[in-house]
Amino acid sequence: MTRLLVRLADAVLALLLAAMVAMVFGNVVLRYVFNSGITVSEELSRFFFVWLTFIGAVVAMGDGSHLGMDSLVARLGRRGRMVCAAVSNALILLCCVLLFLGTLRQHEINATTMAPVTGIPMAWVFGVVYLTAAGIGVHAVLRLARIATGTIRDDELIEVREDEAPVLREDRP
Amino acid sequence: APAQSQAQFQDRVFRVSNGVSKEHPMGNGLAAMGACTLERTGGKMRIQPYWDGALGNDLTATQSVRSGTLEMVLTSTAPLTAIIPSLGVFDLPFLFDNEEEADKVLDGKAGDWFAAKLPAVGAVNLAWWENGFRHTTNSRHPITKLEDFQGVKMRVMQNTIFIDTFKELGSNAVPMAFSEIYSALETKTVDGQENPYNNIENMKFYEVQKYLTLSKHAYSPTLVLFSKRVWDTLSAGEQTVLKECAAVGRAEQRKVNREKSKVSLANLKANGMTVNEIAPAELDRIRGKLAVIYDRHSATIGKEALDLVFGELKAIRGK
Amino acid sequence: MTVALFTAALLGSMAIGMPIAFALLVCAVVLMVAGGQTDTTILSQKLVEGADSFPLLAIPFFMLAGELMNAGGISRRIVLFALTFVGHIRGGLGLVAIFASVVMAAISGSAAADAAAIGALLIPMMRQAGYDVPRAAGLIAAGGVIAPVIPPSIGLIVFGVVANVSIGKLFLAGIVPGLMMGVALVLTWLWVARRDAVAIRPRQGWDARGKAVLEAFWALLMPFGIIGGLKFGVFTPTEAGVVAAVYALVVGLFVYRELKPAALPRLFTAAARSTAVVVFLIAAALISAWLITLSELPGQVKAMLEPFMWDKTVLMLVIMVIVVVVGTALDFAPTLMILTPILMPIVKEAGIDPVYFGVLFIMNNAIGLITPPVGIVLNVMCGVSKITMPDLMKGLWPFLWAELAVLFLLVLFPGLVTGPLWWLTH
Ligand code: NA
Ligand code: NA
Repeated sequence: MTRLLVRLADAVLALLLAAMVAMVFGNVVLRYVFNSGITVSEELSRFFFVWLTFIGAVVAMGDGSHLGMDSLVARLGRRGRMVCAAVSNALILLCCVLLFLGTLRQHEINATTMAPVTGIPMAWVFGVVYLTAAGIGVHAVLRLARIATGTIRDDELIEVREDEAPVLREDRP
Repeated sequence: APAQSQAQFQDRVFRVSNGVSKEHPMGNGLAAMGACTLERTGGKMRIQPYWDGALGNDLTATQSVRSGTLEMVLTSTAPLTAIIPSLGVFDLPFLFDNEEEADKVLDGKAGDWFAAKLPAVGAVNLAWWENGFRHTTNSRHPITKLEDFQGVKMRVMQNTIFIDTFKELGSNAVPMAFSEIYSALETKTVDGQENPYNNIENMKFYEVQKYLTLSKHAYSPTLVLFSKRVWDTLSAGEQTVLKECAAVGRAEQRKVNREKSKVSLANLKANGMTVNEIAPAELDRIRGKLAVIYDRHSATIGKEALDLVFGELKAIRGK
Repeated sequence: MTVALFTAALLGSMAIGMPIAFALLVCAVVLMVAGGQTDTTILSQKLVEGADSFPLLAIPFFMLAGELMNAGGISRRIVLFALTFVGHIRGGLGLVAIFASVVMAAISGSAAADAAAIGALLIPMMRQAGYDVPRAAGLIAAGGVIAPVIPPSIGLIVFGVVANVSIGKLFLAGIVPGLMMGVALVLTWLWVARRDAVAIRPRQGWDARGKAVLEAFWALLMPFGIIGGLKFGVFTPTEAGVVAAVYALVVGLFVYRELKPAALPRLFTAAARSTAVVVFLIAAALISAWLITLSELPGQVKAMLEPFMWDKTVLMLVIMVIVVVVGTALDFAPTLMILTPILMPIVKEAGIDPVYFGVLFIMNNAIGLITPPVGIVLNVMCGVSKITMPDLMKGLWPFLWAELAVLFLLVLFPGLVTGPLWWLTH
């Protein structure tokens, strides 16, 4: 189930990026070849970028690829790590709840504001936080539950990586 | 007695977001408004401006004002046309002929009619200030006739009517962030842009643009927008002071803006820009070509707003 | 008080292993409570507004270009190219590493990725030839730091967006300082490695060199395309990103033919995921940046720096020293996001050219990636070369000092940045 969701999200991410490339590159070509351009592409590619960022943030939470510092936690024993992970996930959950409530509070304003060029209600853009907050919130709740029951694996206790680069893959030279 | 009347004022700081830098005449307007609120409230109500979009662009700052996380913003109508489509009337090309017309319409019943629409979307307009008449610059050739717009790559405000207007003239309307304009003009990614004199001078566009055409194709009003959520927590006396001081600021802001425009124009010439006007006959052709813009956007703007503004203009011009 | 609260919240949350993005959200909450304005809409609105920016689109595009280039075997070609020319001279592998770092810097925007890719190729070779591994690793770590200074650069893009400065100008202004870092590394390397007894590789014939040139040609062309395109106004920085991505796609698919169409979905996903991680962090930091702008913090810092504002050079010197100190403990993104809104008003008021400041500020932040105790590139290089942090530091010091020397040289002689920039834009 989770793997299916991640694959679905990955497909959406790839498609959003491909569409952004098509729109922005298309505009460069149109400008030089036909001296024209599609006016919606600036706005729409920005919105795709927002969706990409906030969907990707959930996926990154799932596979622990958000940037962070693990050097201090790595020095602790299992007990210390459990405490840190508990506090950390509780704070993440708190942030998610606040983000969700904030989006809800602003929903009416965003729903009645239309994007200047495409006319899309801005709730479709800002509303992506519902998804992000819910997704990451659920992740934090599940982690907290497994910490409470002591069933959490050691490798799950460190949820960040210090490397800003994509993980090295087999096809890298 | 002064002591008694000042008891109704509380210590308050109103933070104002500005997209422009503090040298812009908006600074003079806010200084006058701030001096007025300080004096009228015995030093209790303070205006605290933030410049250069430090608190975000017009759109995001307007949203903050609507949700009550920021007290004030000086903004063009652009971020509001999406919520109140009738405000699009001010984006129509060649709506006002001169500043006097704009002042009369905005300070009169038409201005009030638009302002009355704002509380429903979480904002209160304290007064109409101005960014001013917009003109065209480019690096290719002087624009003296309709055909000269053809094929010119123009950076245009991200606004449907503006984009439509320049497309209708045959230009390639390229949307672009304000901070990128200078560099894009310099490297000729775009050929031209359109802005009031003050912006053209402040942004040093004269360094990278040869031709300034006094196209006067649009007048940009500025709203002094106050957060409705915050407004409702103020006493009636505080509200009155804000409104009246915004009017004091308006007088100063418009005065300085118009004086500085003259100086700016002279400076732009001194900096080597070739300045030209469009002959009346050609201007008529351009207006004729743009009549379709009025038709195309009339449904969105709405009959009531159009009739009101055109009616006012007719009355003013009839005299 | 606010400074102490903010720093404690940030470092505390990061220390317990929270993602930096969420640590920054916690900081935002702390700042809101301290500022007496607790409103959840500030969090949610500013978070999305932070990402809703067209100039930031350059990030996914350059990330994608990097992914596509890497899958097409670009770093291998660049290293081979350099090997055939200077591999045979004394200390030649170090020169190869520096050359590859500079070229990779002109293709990608990530210090850690460049150092990792070059290190994975060259460290084993250098180890085998008898080079001192900590010194080799130190050199490659210092080489990686050039990536954010030479365009394309995520750091320059983000600085441009936050400080409202032209990204196109920042890109062009970064070229010469980045090259100067490369030259400084060459001089330092030649000096520290002059007595090393290492195996010398055989000199390559011109046929091998010609073949390597042909192989690397399309990759080497890309930086010139990006810079030329920006200089001659063919495209905006965002468009430069998309053109680079399409170019990498075409070269990978049809010229090098190492890129298989079946791999494309995976590469697009990888670029999108890396983008999401970086941009989510930036967006989270922008909430704090907004709250910091509203707080009394910029005023306090300004009051602190007031005594130095009588002279631009003195002020720059003081600011750069502060950033170096902050950079030892905080990494690139948080330093950039937190300090930019605080420093920009001061920089503007003092009349310092924002483009010049931006390049030096980003260079300084980049150097922070290799200053202990906290530095991402240090961790990456320890992993790649399988040595400990103290060992790596022993090898790294001379190169770190060299790069700091370049930074402070540019503080003393701003013309070294603004001169070439003027030439590039006229
Ligand atoms: Na780079
Ligand atoms: Na550091």
